[in-house]
Amino acid sequence: MTRTISHIFLLAGKDLRIQARTRHTFGLIAVLGVLIVVVLGLGLGAQAEVRGFGATAVLWVAYLFSGVLCFEKTMAVERNDDALAGLLLAPIDRSLIYVSKLVTNLALMAAVALVVTPVGVLFFSFDLSAAPGTFAGIIAISMVGFAAVGTLFAAVVSSSRLQGGLLAMMVFPITLPLVIVSTRLMTAVFRDGQAVEASTVGVLVAFDAIFLAVSWVVFEWVLEV
Amino acid sequence: MNRTRNLLVPAYWTATVGLFAAAVALTLVWTPVEATMGPIQKIFYLHLPVAINTFLACLVVFIASVGFLWQRKAWWDDLAYAAAKVAVQFCTVVLATGMIWGKSAWGQWWTWSPRLTFSLALWLLYVVYLIVRLSVESRARRAVISAVYGVVAFLDVPLVYLSARLMPDIHPGSVSLAPAMKLTLGLWFIPVTLMCFGMIVARYFLHRRIRQTTAAPAPEINQPMRLGALGELA
Amino acid sequence: MNDVTALATQPLTSTVAAAAARPAAAVEAVDLCKLIDERPVLRDVTFRVNGGEFVAVLGANGAGKSTLLKIMATLVAPSSGDLRLFGRSLGKDSRAARKDIGLIGHQSMLYRDLSPLENLEFFARLYGVKDPAGRSRRLLEAVGLAHRANDAVATFSRGMTQRVAIARALLHEPQLILADEPFAGLDAPSTAAVEELLGHLHWRGRTIFLVSHDVEQSLRLAERVVVLRGGTLAADRPAKGLKAAEVLEVVGW
Repeated sequence: MTRTISHIFLLAGKDLRIQARTRHTFGLIAVLGVLIVVVLGLGLGAQAEVRGFGATAVLWVAYLFSGVLCFEKTMAVERNDDALAGLLLAPIDRSLIYVSKLVTNLALMAAVALVVTPVGVLFFSFDLSAAPGTFAGIIAISMVGFAAVGTLFAAVVSSSRLQGGLLAMMVFPITLPLVIVSTRLMTAVFRDGQAVEASTVGVLVAFDAIFLAVSWVVFEWVLEV
Repeated sequence: MNRTRNLLVPAYWTATVGLFAAAVALTLVWTPVEATMGPIQKIFYLHLPVAINTFLACLVVFIASVGFLWQRKAWWDDLAYAAAKVAVQFCTVVLATGMIWGKSAWGQWWTWSPRLTFSLALWLLYVVYLIVRLSVESRARRAVISAVYGVVAFLDVPLVYLSARLMPDIHPGSVSLAPAMKLTLGLWFIPVTLMCFGMIVARYFLHRRIRQTTAAPAPEINQPMRLGALGELA
Repeated sequence: MNDVTALATQPLTSTVAAAAARPAAAVEAVDLCKLIDERPVLRDVTFRVNGGEFVAVLGANGAGKSTLLKIMATLVAPSSGDLRLFGRSLGKDSRAARKDIGLIGHQSMLYRDLSPLENLEFFARLYGVKDPAGRSRRLLEAVGLAHRANDAVATFSRGMTQRVAIARALLHEPQLILADEPFAGLDAPSTAAVEELLGHLHWRGRTIFLVSHDVEQSLRLAERVVVLRGGTLAADRPAKGLKAAEVLEVVGW
């Protein structure tokens, strides 16, 4: 068990180190996220309905699009010079490659969220002070499910050729349930001022568990070089 | 074998069309009109069987995708593609009939009601499957990517269903059906299911034939380079 | 590069020596078949290689050489047939077998944004090598790249990258070394150095599979030649006494 964990740390550590070395691409992703917020903000105008709570929808769009780019970026590392074969050769449980990529993706998405969220909160005068922890919690849980599926699909879709939209197109319909449920939670808490429904959060967590389990299992089937 | 097929196929489709015609006739002439909704309600007899068959087609996509990932044999891939095409076509009908129903019942073409949202999400899930297939050139990778997506998409269906249930629901509860209506509904299932099954099988054989006639090129066994000839040409 | 061999080949431990004394095969392939896209790339390939043999795998493009090596490296599963490495069948879990395999491929399988030292330490840790940092440093010195230890691999030439790749393949002292056209893109001195390395590894008791286009080089280095043609085994003979022309004929050139 400890060896598994140390392998995950080793693999994820390697990925994060590489991501740190290629920070410039991260900048691109973060800026894209900000731009999405700005464009939607301008497009939706200053209508009262959109202010405040409307920010969650805009933020979701920003997270999802930049998230997909993060998934592509993490996987692209292994395509250069057939690096993935190097990992497959090692005497480790190959599904750990999935786990470590997932961890890296979550770290990247969190970093993007840290940049994009304040922008959204500011431009839409979204008052988070009511329940900032709840907001962060719901987003975090949703991102896990989103990244679980995205990591799997990114591994399968060869991005050596430019097929940018393909990954996004595959991930979005699958993760609609996450969007629906988390929006419902956000609506309840931030627009209607209600308390968080524990059962609905439970549903979100259950979705995550299912996405994780399925992606983990399927990942091993597709690793054949 | 071919002779039986030449007899079987037209017989099959004749029977299917005939049953369809009979079902339509029955519905218009015999089945009682529902009190609250009026004649448009009868579109339900088409809607529900088609919806169930859409789900069955999606199930076939799932099974075929799993089969492909497990055995890596091309015919699983052909089957998955065939079933997905039929699933999308049937789901389009589900969406359309659902919207017609909605327009008639509540005056709007679209609401984010659980049923419509679910139909739309299902439609999108499998349309994406078809587009994935069109977007990947390499035959081998296309099969793998579609299969992975096909597996995850089907397992996602219950999640979509559950989350769609959270959407605000305009419907009053489900309408109870008189015995005559239940009979009509049951009768509609037959031609619709025959059609679904028949279309999947027909598509499957079509894809297989296409695959066999556009087989991958022979392995590269080069002729030796004729350096003398090259030298003269250069 | 001479120091590499010393580092790469500690004297065989007693258990391995005992195993080598028994006539157990290092690599045993039985009726290996591989279908890619329903096309047979390998068909009924059967051979048996004893520990310490140096085998050259020759054949035209598309004959299945790389596929065979990938199957031996556990990167690809055969469609049918059996492959045993050091007596262990490559069934569901090939994890244990991978500890004994070192692969040098066409591509470096390295991370170009990291330095060679970081690459080596990462793989050393992944393989559970003792003293990963120390061993990485020593191997890097042995391949003559200590002065570039902290530069990103992206800045290296093909020859330098290949040297790091070789160091990586030897980190865990593998018993079986698979080399898939390792000389591609190397200049003459580097080629000579790699040839010498392979020779020393062989002398030290490692089993080596070399895939190469260069028939004369293969005949010089290897003690046994296996020729693949259209996915099947066309020849399997000792290299001694073989003439290049004969081999070329079998290969189909």
